[in-house]
Amino acid sequence: MSKHQVGVTACAANAVRLAALLGGFAASFGAYALTDAERIDRLEQQVSQLSAGTAERSAADEGLPLHGFMDVDARAANNGGLKGFGLGNVDFYLVPTVGERIKGLIELNFEVSDAGELDTDVERMQIGYVFSDAWTVWAGRYHSPWGYWNTAYHHGAQLQTSITRPRFLEFEDRGGIIPAHSVGLWGTGAVRAGSGRITYDLYTGNSQRIDLDAGAPGSGVLDPNLGSSTNHNAMAGFNLGYLFSGTSDGLKLGVHGYTAKIDDDAVPVDSTQVRFLGGYGVYLGNDWEILAEYYRFNNQDLSGGSGTHPSWAGYAQIGKLIGRWTPYARFEKTILDQSDAYFAQQASGQSYDRSVAGIRYDLDPRAALKLEANRTRLTDRQLSSFNELRMQFAIRF
Amino acid sequence: MMRLIVPLAAAILFFAAGPCRAQLAVIAHPSAAISAEDVRDIYLGDKQFQGGVKLVPVDNAALQQQFLAKVMELDAARYGAVWAKKAFREGLSAPARKSNDLEVIEFVRRTPGAVGYVASAPPDVRVVQKY
Repeated sequence: MSKHQVGVTACAANAVRLAALLGGFAASFGAYALTDAERIDRLEQQVSQLSAGTAERSAADEGLPLHGFMDVDARAANNGGLKGFGLGNVDFYLVPTVGERIKGLIELNFEVSDAGELDTDVERMQIGYVFSDAWTVWAGRYHSPWGYWNTAYHHGAQLQTSITRPRFLEFEDRGGIIPAHSVGLWGTGAVRAGSGRITYDLYTGNSQRIDLDAGAPGSGVLDPNLGSSTNHNAMAGFNLGYLFSGTSDGLKLGVHGYTAKIDDDAVPVDSTQVRFLGGYGVYLGNDWEILAEYYRFNNQDLSGGSGTHPSWAGYAQIGKLIGRWTPYARFEKTILDQSDAYFAQQASGQSYDRSVAGIRYDLDPRAALKLEANRTRLTDRQLSSFNELRMQFAIRF
Repeated sequence: MMRLIVPLAAAILFFAAGPCRAQLAVIAHPSAAISAEDVRDIYLGDKQFQGGVKLVPVDNAALQQQFLAKVMELDAARYGAVWAKKAFREGLSAPARKSNDLEVIEFVRRTPGAVGYVASAPPDVRVVQKY
């Protein structure tokens, strides 16, 4: 090919390249020249894709939230009891769900005992199946659903208005005389009835036991029997309530009962058929909080032949929300038959009465400062009385 | 002049009343055969099923304050406390929170049992109640 022919060929190739470049440029330029309708259409598609993407994200994609409660306190007693600052509880709970009808509830509690030791506890470990609004069955360790206070507040210090629980409703390891935890099965639900709702609980599980301290009489503490029923017996209970609405919105009335064969580890063993029936009334409305519970025991001695022993326990508490302040007062009383081995063997099984007065200030919807004073009179075993002053800072997260 | 005053006054009143006519509509997936009476129970966690259908309520961050005031008669703090108690006592999870109407509408369209609330419902979505 001559120099001239090479030059012509190269020139033609360049012209083709230039034409292709210009053509592509013109095409792209034409593509940006959209009409308003086309631009709106593209915008709608993008918005639709964005909203679909976020809409499809379910709660499961957000992870499992960890919630809980924490409290720190200070106290002083005039009977040589505890004085100073203390760590209360840090209580975590999770509520995982598996599909539409299976759910779990896990509650782990860390607390410092009066002796200054760190105690850890699996407070609740339960798996439930939701048949309907009217019936859910839980299996595992759960808060015993008697009365009102035990399931309403439990370790949630920020939830309850006062610092202290009624003494006779304390947790087992704090000297409570009724098992606050159960291991077994629990059915619960609610149905519409009139303008309100009927609520109900049926539960059964391992019969609890009383552990004495080195066999010393009157030193016992209740144990929920996490692993199995040591006396191969079951406990059972019920709670039936009515939640009003309309003009009585916030009022709940109920009855409850419990029975269990409970043994201690004395030699010989004291065996008691523990039975109680009772009622409760709660009003939470119009900034008032009014709580009252009553327990009537009719325990039967199964080992000593001493027959049946009647006892009773109850409390009433009132509080009023005024702005961020809630002043409150409570009176508790128990008359516990000391010839009933069930009470006689428990360290906190003596009769008492207690007057409580306090005030709560809500720094935030999830944080509360509380100040409380109480006077306790022990009315059998060792007659005595003492006063306590307590402060608490409690949060929910 | 009088011919202008009446329609002018009507127009002024119409636009002055505009904010008072702001609507809130509770919408639901067709599978959620709920009524207006069910809405409060659903958002308090007292109603989880309608027939055999699991209800899935969602909150709308853009409208939550208005919804809580008009429908639930609660403030945000008390609403939060209700769900904290429901979780702690019964193992329930609070409604998921969507950012705006678009997300709520798309969620309700796609999710059986879904219930939500929006300022303006499109014609293809079932409106349970307007407030």
